[in-house]
Amino acid sequence: MAFLIRTIAVAKSGREIVRDRTVEKDELKVGRSQDCDIHLPDLKVELQHLQLVNSGSGSIDANSLGELPFDLDGQSITQATINADAVAEIAVGPALLEISREVATGSDAPVQIIIKPAPRLKAASEPEAGFLMASTMPSKRAMAWTFFGVIFVLLLSVPIISHQFRTEVENDPEDLDRGAVLMDASWSTGHLSLAHQSLEDNCEACHQTAFVSVQDETCITCHEEIADHAKMPRQLTGMPALSTGDALQWTIAETLGKEGPLGCVSCHTEHEGPTKLEASDEKFCADCHNDMDVRLTDVAFANAGDFGDKHPQFRPKFYTAHFDKKAKRVSLDQKPVEKSGLVFPHDIHVSKTGGAARMAVSLSQYGAPLECGDCHQESKTAPGGFEPVVMEDSCEACHSLVSGKGGNGFTNLRHGDVTDLMEDLAKVNLGSRRAVVAGRGRPGQYGSGGRYYANFGRPMSAYIAINRALEQGGTCGDCHLRTSTNGRPDLIPVNIPDKYIHGGFFPHAAHGDDVAECSDCHATGTSSNATDLLIPDLESCRDCHQGESAVKTEEIVPSSCAMCHGYHTPAIPWHPGDTPEGHPDFPGNGRPDNVAAILSGLRR
Amino acid sequence: MASVANQRFREDEKRRDADHVSFLKHRRFRWLWIALLLCGVSIIGYALIDQEPRPNGGSWYGYTLGTVGLILIVWLSLLGIRKRKISDGAWSLKAWTSAHVYLGLALTVIGTLHTGFQIGWNVHTLAYVLMLIVIFSGIYGVYAYAALPKALSANRGDSTGGEMLDKIADIDRKLDGAAQPLDRRGSDLVIAALGQDVFYGGAFARLTGAYPGCATNSALSGIPASGSEAEARVHELLSNRAEQLAQIRRHLRIKSMLEVWLFIHIPATIALLAALLAHVISVFYYW
Repeated sequence: MAFLIRTIAVAKSGREIVRDRTVEKDELKVGRSQDCDIHLPDLKVELQHLQLVNSGSGSIDANSLGELPFDLDGQSITQATINADAVAEIAVGPALLEISREVATGSDAPVQIIIKPAPRLKAASEPEAGFLMASTMPSKRAMAWTFFGVIFVLLLSVPIISHQFRTEVENDPEDLDRGAVLMDASWSTGHLSLAHQSLEDNCEACHQTAFVSVQDETCITCHEEIADHAKMPRQLTGMPALSTGDALQWTIAETLGKEGPLGCVSCHTEHEGPTKLEASDEKFCADCHNDMDVRLTDVAFANAGDFGDKHPQFRPKFYTAHFDKKAKRVSLDQKPVEKSGLVFPHDIHVSKTGGAARMAVSLSQYGAPLECGDCHQESKTAPGGFEPVVMEDSCEACHSLVSGKGGNGFTNLRHGDVTDLMEDLAKVNLGSRRAVVAGRGRPGQYGSGGRYYANFGRPMSAYIAINRALEQGGTCGDCHLRTSTNGRPDLIPVNIPDKYIHGGFFPHAAHGDDVAECSDCHATGTSSNATDLLIPDLESCRDCHQGESAVKTEEIVPSSCAMCHGYHTPAIPWHPGDTPEGHPDFPGNGRPDNVAAILSGLRR
Repeated sequence: MASVANQRFREDEKRRDADHVSFLKHRRFRWLWIALLLCGVSIIGYALIDQEPRPNGGSWYGYTLGTVGLILIVWLSLLGIRKRKISDGAWSLKAWTSAHVYLGLALTVIGTLHTGFQIGWNVHTLAYVLMLIVIFSGIYGVYAYAALPKALSANRGDSTGGEMLDKIADIDRKLDGAAQPLDRRGSDLVIAALGQDVFYGGAFARLTGAYPGCATNSALSGIPASGSEAEARVHELLSNRAEQLAQIRRHLRIKSMLEVWLFIHIPATIALLAALLAHVISVFYYW
């Protein structure tokens, strides 16, 4: 039995070259080796790859000779029996062996093997294109548009669309944590201040309308208690002219709906990091107040620029005349006299020696010479920081109003109302007294209850004074100024204000024991008259407090405006509870921590 | 007559000089000086103009710097369009390129001052960072264009890329013949070497010149020179192939170093334009 082997090669021109030969064998070897019957010079083929055994009647046994398989009709196998009559295709390396038999010529017809080259994969058309970087990188254009698209969609379209189509809700200060707009955190230029941190995920709580700046009205939905620094028109007049750049910016900004340089957000800038609201620096106030009288000619107060060298004298508010209904603000420079209606020499009371001191030592409730705090008690809730001095608590231990014995104890004249006092006085002499002489009655008209009876009991000076309380030299006159109302003896009403300082605040606690004694500022030791106004003047504060730019030392405290003044709340600390003393943190005390701050420091 | 000829010669020389002067030195560094002036003015303004409460992109000076920066970025990115339209004269492509480089560098200063040194995880800083990526990739590009072509020529010698590939193909043909007597293992090594693309390896391999999976090198170490005659011959051919590949790979390395910056510069520019759009719109949307 023979194999008919037909080799088909393809010339470069594409023409097929056909060679036929007959091999008179029952077994054929296919391989790379030269001695194979079918020699396939290709490295993918084993030296001895495949054996084909003709077992008659067109049946061919195919066996791999080495480890590598061959492909039969697309299947990779190592052993197969092929029916040549049905035409089979074996692939070995790059060659295709088509095995068939022309049955028409008889059952002994030779098996025909047609060897064809396997179709080659087309090589890259431009081999030199491989030299370009582009062959190993994604296309620049594709990358560019991908990045563009991602940014455009995620960082621009999503926030805008979700903002436009959100359900608008009114701000509820109790529930502001979450907003409806998506991806707008990517728009935030920085963290919000500590006070506003709960709003971080709720941009639209403030940014309510597209392309409209944050409005004062929105701030006030939560901060309704905040008052304007002054009436808006007066603030606008009082402001210095803007720089050209600022003026231009505000012109444009106001045209586009921004609320002028006095809107909330122009001072309360947000997105500057998790900061505390800091006290404004001196310059912030001085910008307007330094030369305010030029623009606001009718203001009652003088210019101020720096506490150390440009601050008007204090103008405490108190009563300048007896019977006044209203307290007045008067500059300490005018050496004002306080008409409180009282007689009270501080010097006698605070002296460590003398009658008052001896008296206090003898009384168990004091046990020592009087101190300021014995009468003036600090209070966090009282308007001026001190409870009002109450006669019964602070004076009566010495300035007794005992008028006699009654019941189990003593009777007192009632304090506070002259009418009550008069009633009490009328009863004073009715009290019983011990008889001077016992056992022998006086005769007739001189006897007890008789017309000329006189009580010659031992005179008691206190009683005498009490008796004549409202008269010259009487008890009331120890502390009060006498007058008469409709011919009746009376006292001038006491007029002491709740607090003296109104345009600023003074935390006594911050000036406590370790800083100063009361008498360091209040000249009690030398004040012999209640008309002395013991409010310390500007100069005495300046012993320690200098302007913001002063150098801090053991004694000198650099003091910016905000140490004593609030912007929205002039007379109470702008941020109460910030520190235990009620002092805010002042700018300028720490080192500048960023480039901008350093540069800004250099400029000044 | 002589003077006319001299004049002509001088003019021609001038033109020739102009044609060969680098875009960096164009017109005696005109754009360098303009860029330096721009930076100087911006820095002085930043230092001297009081911005309350603090320097910030939203102050009037911040807006000014931002506007200048925006115009510059858009104009700089137009180089891609401009370079495809050839013209000459005052706005020759060389002038544009010179201005592109120096004004682009000035943008680092203007952009940075515009930020007011406030950096965060947001679209604004994204735009700033993308801008810096574009600028720094551009700086690398200028360096690459100035320094690398020389190295490229030196490595290539007289041959072109096509010739290098032809040499490989020639070696491959010989290798195919020489490897016929090899056993299975040897054959497989040669097949792998022949089958591996000349340009095998990704961008990283090209840039570093490290090809750990190179089949030619594996074959070279797997088929000893001291083996059979056929093996020795194959080994020699593989050595030739490795040598030729090394030249191609040096070529690829230099060429990719010359080109890689554009794969950052261009996509980052387009991304920057998107981020810039989002930056400007978002700032005023949430004013």
